[in-house]
Amino acid sequence: MWPSFPTTKGVMAVLELSEELRLLDGMARDFALNELVEGREERDHYPFAPPSEDLLAKAREVGFFTIFLPEKMGGAAEPVQALCLVLEEVCREDASLGGAIFTVALAQELLRQAGSEKALMRAFAEAASLREAVPAFPSFHNPGDMAPLLVAERGGRGYRLTGSVEYVVLGNVAGKALLPAASAAGGWSLFTVDLEGEGVRVSEPVLSLGLHACPAVDLRLEGVPGTLVGEEGKGQLYFEAAADRLSAASAACSCGVMKGSFDAALEYARQRMQGGREIVNWSEVRMILSSMAVRAKAAEMLVRRAAAAVDGGDPGWELASRAAALLVQEMAVEVTCDGIQILGGNGYMQDYGQEKRFRDAQQLQALLGMVPMRRLRYIRRVVDGESPWS
Amino acid sequence: MSKKGESSQLLREFPDFTDTMHSLVAMERIPAGVVEECREAVAMARRFNRTVARSYALELDRRMQEDPTFLPWELVEEANRWGFFTMWIPKLFGGKGWSLSSISPFVEELASECLAITNLIGVHYFGYSILVATWNIRLIDMISREVVEGEREGRPCLVSGAVTEPEAGTDAEEVELLARARVRCHARRVEGGYVVNGRKIFISNGHLSTWHILIAYEDLERPDETMIAFAVKNGMPGFSFGRMEKKMGQKGCPASELVFEDCFIPDENLLVAASQLTGMKRGARELGMQLIDFVVSATRPGVGAMGAGVARGAFELALRFARETEVAGKPLINHEWAQCLLAEMYKNAALARLSYMEANYSNSMYGMAKLLSFKPLYYYNRLIPTSMFDRWMPAANSRQATTAVFRKLVMDGQSDAEARRASGWASLAKVAGTDLGVRNCQLALELMGQAGLRHDRRAEKCLRDAKLLQIYEGTNQLNRLNVFKCLVAPAAPEARAFED
Ligand SMILES: Cc1cc2nc3c(=O)[nH]c(=O)nc-3n(C[C@H](O)[C@H](O)[C@H](O)COP(=O)(O)OP(=O)(O)OC[C@H]3O[C@@H](n4cnc5c(N)ncnc54)[C@H](O)[C@@H]3O)c2cc1C
Repeated sequence: MWPSFPTTKGVMAVLELSEELRLLDGMARDFALNELVEGREERDHYPFAPPSEDLLAKAREVGFFTIFLPEKMGGAAEPVQALCLVLEEVCREDASLGGAIFTVALAQELLRQAGSEKALMRAFAEAASLREAVPAFPSFHNPGDMAPLLVAERGGRGYRLTGSVEYVVLGNVAGKALLPAASAAGGWSLFTVDLEGEGVRVSEPVLSLGLHACPAVDLRLEGVPGTLVGEEGKGQLYFEAAADRLSAASAACSCGVMKGSFDAALEYARQRMQGGREIVNWSEVRMILSSMAVRAKAAEMLVRRAAAAVDGGDPGWELASRAAALLVQEMAVEVTCDGIQILGGNGYMQDYGQEKRFRDAQQLQALLGMVPMRRLRYIRRVVDGESPWS
Repeated sequence: MSKKGESSQLLREFPDFTDTMHSLVAMERIPAGVVEECREAVAMARRFNRTVARSYALELDRRMQEDPTFLPWELVEEANRWGFFTMWIPKLFGGKGWSLSSISPFVEELASECLAITNLIGVHYFGYSILVATWNIRLIDMISREVVEGEREGRPCLVSGAVTEPEAGTDAEEVELLARARVRCHARRVEGGYVVNGRKIFISNGHLSTWHILIAYEDLERPDETMIAFAVKNGMPGFSFGRMEKKMGQKGCPASELVFEDCFIPDENLLVAASQLTGMKRGARELGMQLIDFVVSATRPGVGAMGAGVARGAFELALRFARETEVAGKPLINHEWAQCLLAEMYKNAALARLSYMEANYSNSMYGMAKLLSFKPLYYYNRLIPTSMFDRWMPAANSRQATTAVFRKLVMDGQSDAEARRASGWASLAKVAGTDLGVRNCQLALELMGQAGLRHDRRAEKCLRDAKLLQIYEGTNQLNRLNVFKCLVAPAAPEARAFED
């Protein structure tokens, strides 16, 4: 629990974790501290520094890319809670890896929603290399909002995809991408595409605001063979269902970043002297710290409750997950802005990690598509009769 | 009491009419020529944005991300060719003598394209304004003329302002805090001058400047009473550059460490020592605060204008995106919510502009250059060519007596109420403009989703650049406290600021 204080059974029951989850949480925390703190600034120099494929390989070794697989394929029993815990711990130290883990889980969930268990098995559980184990996906889009999409044309035995798609996460690490494309059937469909195949042009890594070490590229496709995933024209359905489950996980990323930002701010405020005292002893500084701490704590509770609701299939879990994402992401943007402010000029410098958290939080807010459209979708469902209350 | 007497009594009650209605009061005081100057300054900035900044801003930012030690000399030379480093140097000292009120609209315009380039140009006037605030006419004249010469010969001569130290940032901006600060930059009196030891950090344009206006302290136990300012030139023995910071944004404008190791500074480079200013109506400590206030009353509205500029820049990017993008089957610009969002952003930029304009009026009527908005002096300065000034000013400027007269006129000529007004409104505009600037960048990113996060779409750079505005020229917290001290505390005489 964060900040750590003795918990009282009963009162905190809602946040109590199962033994399996507690173990996973401890492991993720150790991993984050041992692997992510050192070299964070160097990794963040990407694309002007080498990509962090070693780190992705390590994350794969410890199982971060398979948590969200169905249990029979080795996934966790309470997959959303498990994924959220891992993302929170990882993003507390370096959200770039969180972006990669999230993208992989999202692709897995889309395949699952599309009923492609076989593809899932082949692609992940049995993958021999990192290239096979991570799929690329444009995880900062809701394809339903995007125009124009790739176009898939039926020809001969399969489909051929043409057009361009922006910001495909892991597009220069993965062997395969899961891509949305419009087809004659109307709406859009999901296709897997071999990124090493002919007709695929992969751009230089896109330089972005945050999550530098979670690489993304633009793709141009020219008649590239694509394998349909699930049913034609059902892409939006799969995506929305996946977003219901994974919104909580996107919130977990932001929550981790917030905690990291608060921890660093508090530590700095305890040491930095101005006006003859540690700045933590100026009440205005305390006010800022307090608003950071309150929001981070509220985010922690929201994410855990939403994740448990998703895993438990509680009534209204879909909206719970989405509401958590919208609110937690917004709070993370505010908290990390304050997180820089507490460090003054030092907060603005790369040496202290706070500026990275600020950039990352802002970037994470765009996961699963643009904020205003996600807000509108949320309320549309309520207006259409879905109850927001549990 | 007569009706008139009663009215003026009522108007003096909190909030004092004169403390709040600067543009109204200014209407009858500010020369009309200022409007024309502002128009010209904005047009010039637009021209520069179109020809230089628009194409170079992203390239420079990317270049700096790749190599944070890169120094953008080309840009400095280009700005020098455009004459930007002498525009606001008074004709008295060989410059072009534009009115100070025109600098903020100019800055807003530049900032709507790129804050890094804006700071690289604007912060020269931060250094320069510390120089001017010392009212050491001989040195102002000498350094100004070097800047002018540097422009003529294509050798940029920039001025940086070095106040912040590793252990004193906020503390260096307010004498109440300075009294308890851990400052380390020490000036020891020796035969013929001073020996300075210490470090200054985060100094914008440090590596790019020729002159550095350095604030040090004669007694580290009593820094609030012993503030001392020097003009330090590159190459002085004992003075060197340290590291260049790796910043989140405004990357095109370096932030440098200045290192002083037994650096001997001769008496002729002493700008002012608070402890040596005798015969003035204020004591050393108050004079130190007046020096800080002279500077920040002029420069904080400028930072507010940078906030207004980036608020506009972000708004313009969002507007373009909304026009070019189709969402859920129709152009984004035709979604009602998007129209309200864009209106909100437009409003934010407008409010930021109103605040800095108000602060500018306040500073021109009550700040250190208030003499220049006295109409006869303004038109004299505007209409007489620099060459005429050059005939007789340098000789007068080199006299000790000129400095003494100016100091008496300007320092003693400013009342406490005037100092409060200028400083309080400068802080108000700084906080308002910079918060609104950051807000608009965030709104633009929300609207643009993934597209806004890409370097090649510019919006993310606006946000990275804008965040700095809430930190430098005093953090927004320090500036809020200054608003309290200057504008609110008069209504609560029992209140003590900076004691908590
Ligand atoms: C890129 C950059 C460029 C700069 N350029 C220049 C320059 O050209 N010349 C120059 O001299 N300086 C420059 N500065 C320095 C700038 O003015 C300082 O960073 C600023 O004044 C804050 O000081 P600090 O960084 O030491 O933060 P600190 O003073 O350590 O502040 C840390 C936190 O504590 C808070 N705090 C401190 N004291 C109090 C208090 N009494 N009450 C409430 N809260 C308090 C602050 O608000 C902040 O949130 C620059 C800084 C940066 C980052």
